Amino acid sequence: MLGLGIESTAHTFSCAVLEKNGKKGKILSDVRKIYRPPDGEGIHPREASRHHIENSSTVLSDCLHEAGIKIQDLDLVSYAAGPGLGPCLRVGAVVARSLASYYKIPIYPVNHAIGHIELGKLLTGAQNPLVLLVSGGHTMLLAFLNKQWRVFGETLDITLGQLLDQFGRSIGFASPCGKNIEDLAATSTNYVSLPYSVKGNDVSFSGLLSATKSVSSKSKPDACFSLQETAFAMISEAVERALSFTRKKELMVVGGVAANKRLSEMLQDVCKRHNAKFFVVPLKFAGDCGSQICWTGLLESQVKKGAPLENTFVTQSWRLDTVKIDY
Amino acid sequence: MRLLKKGAEADIYLTQWDKSNAILKARKPKKYRNPTLDSKIRKQRTIKEAQTISDIKSFGIPSPLVYHVNLTKSEIIMQEIPGKPVHDLPESQIIKLSKDIGRLVGTLHNHGVMHGDLTTSNFILYKKKIYVIDFGLSQRTIKPEDHAVDLRLIKEILNSAHAKIMQSSWKNFLSGYKGAVGSAKFIKITNLVSEIEGRGRYATVV
Repeated sequence: MLGLGIESTAHTFSCAVLEKNGKKGKILSDVRKIYRPPDGEGIHPREASRHHIENSSTVLSDCLHEAGIKIQDLDLVSYAAGPGLGPCLRVGAVVARSLASYYKIPIYPVNHAIGHIELGKLLTGAQNPLVLLVSGGHTMLLAFLNKQWRVFGETLDITLGQLLDQFGRSIGFASPCGKNIEDLAATSTNYVSLPYSVKGNDVSFSGLLSATKSVSSKSKPDACFSLQETAFAMISEAVERALSFTRKKELMVVGGVAANKRLSEMLQDVCKRHNAKFFVVPLKFAGDCGSQICWTGLLESQVKKGAPLENTFVTQSWRLDTVKIDY
Repeated sequence: MRLLKKGAEADIYLTQWDKSNAILKARKPKKYRNPTLDSKIRKQRTIKEAQTISDIKSFGIPSPLVYHVNLTKSEIIMQEIPGKPVHDLPESQIIKLSKDIGRLVGTLHNHGVMHGDLTTSNFILYKKKIYVIDFGLSQRTIKPEDHAVDLRLIKEILNSAHAKIMQSSWKNFLSGYKGAVGSAKFIKITNLVSEIEGRGRYATVV
């Protein structure tokens, strides 16, 4: 079975073609164009959606070309219907609807966060993991129970990705700032005390953000180092709590922040202590990409027919714990 | 000394104190954590836990007796409660006990104590009485928002770990809680719980 997946929830416009054979999936192509805001600024939804519109046709044709297929070969098209930025989501949905209606291909609206998890499972081979989803849009600990992903812990305010980006931009980096912060943090070992806020399995980052900004006026490297140490220790503790509570024997990390080496290192240590296997999604597929959406669409097609065109909306707020999973 | 459990923050051992069984809770250093941060957290929580466990007895909350505190090693030796965590009980019993748990939490809040880690593993049923344990994240606070955070956490746990019986046990929890705190405070706190949930990511539909 051949599927096309379209991702456009935030800064990335991406198309991917995957082939599904039973439980196996193969990525034939995954092409992306990423909107880069000016240094020190965040994503402007209107500008990002313009970027997506301008790049959509090239990305789509490159993706088909790389996979060596024609549109007519596709068995389905899926798109990220939320959560995300409205103007951006609409671009992907319009492309998907156009293809579906013109070529009469079944269409599947997909939850973006579920996409992160499903592609992670495909690529890492994790069977029944506790999932840590850390990105610009999410910071959540999840486990699968009774046909739904259940939230065992999450951020009560901003996400880990937002924490890093907002702090990074305040010292002049361009979003996404994770890599820059990681590099600058590596030049310091001076830990400055910062607010550490773990509430049961939940975390809260907003106080930490303000406090780190004031440290950065004295030393940027110290601020980056202390920010990473504090925020990642909070996440690691929440993971430990959830591992010990759910008694899961696997941890899988997905989402853009999964690329951070220091976070991986800390989580690996956590897993060792709890005898859990550690899985992290390959760097190339940690961030937003069409493969996530495509694979989830292919999985859904096992149990569902394509959606009627009039139901192919986008939803800016769509929590993944409300999605029923029947495959 | 026998290792009973590797918890999230501490290792739990069965040991002896004055010729009877006792629990040793050791908050060992965590390699992944920055040493300065690590020792601060371990020390703070050990003090907090020992203090709160003792304080709450004065208003009738069943909890283990603290025998000994070693601050340099961040260890507490306390009474063993040889019962079963509510988490591991049959679902019908969890539903029933939720009311008692709600009452206990309400009583804690009435006396300005926030537990900070309300999960079904931190209530132990022993000889028909429920004991409350694990006060490392507890706080002395009368702020309604803090009390609401407590409720939100146990709600999240019921919703995830006990999804099948969520509705009935949450209802019972609330009724027990209301009985302890009275309707005025009950309405205030539950409204705040909805407010906190609303602040969550993608919680409100736009």
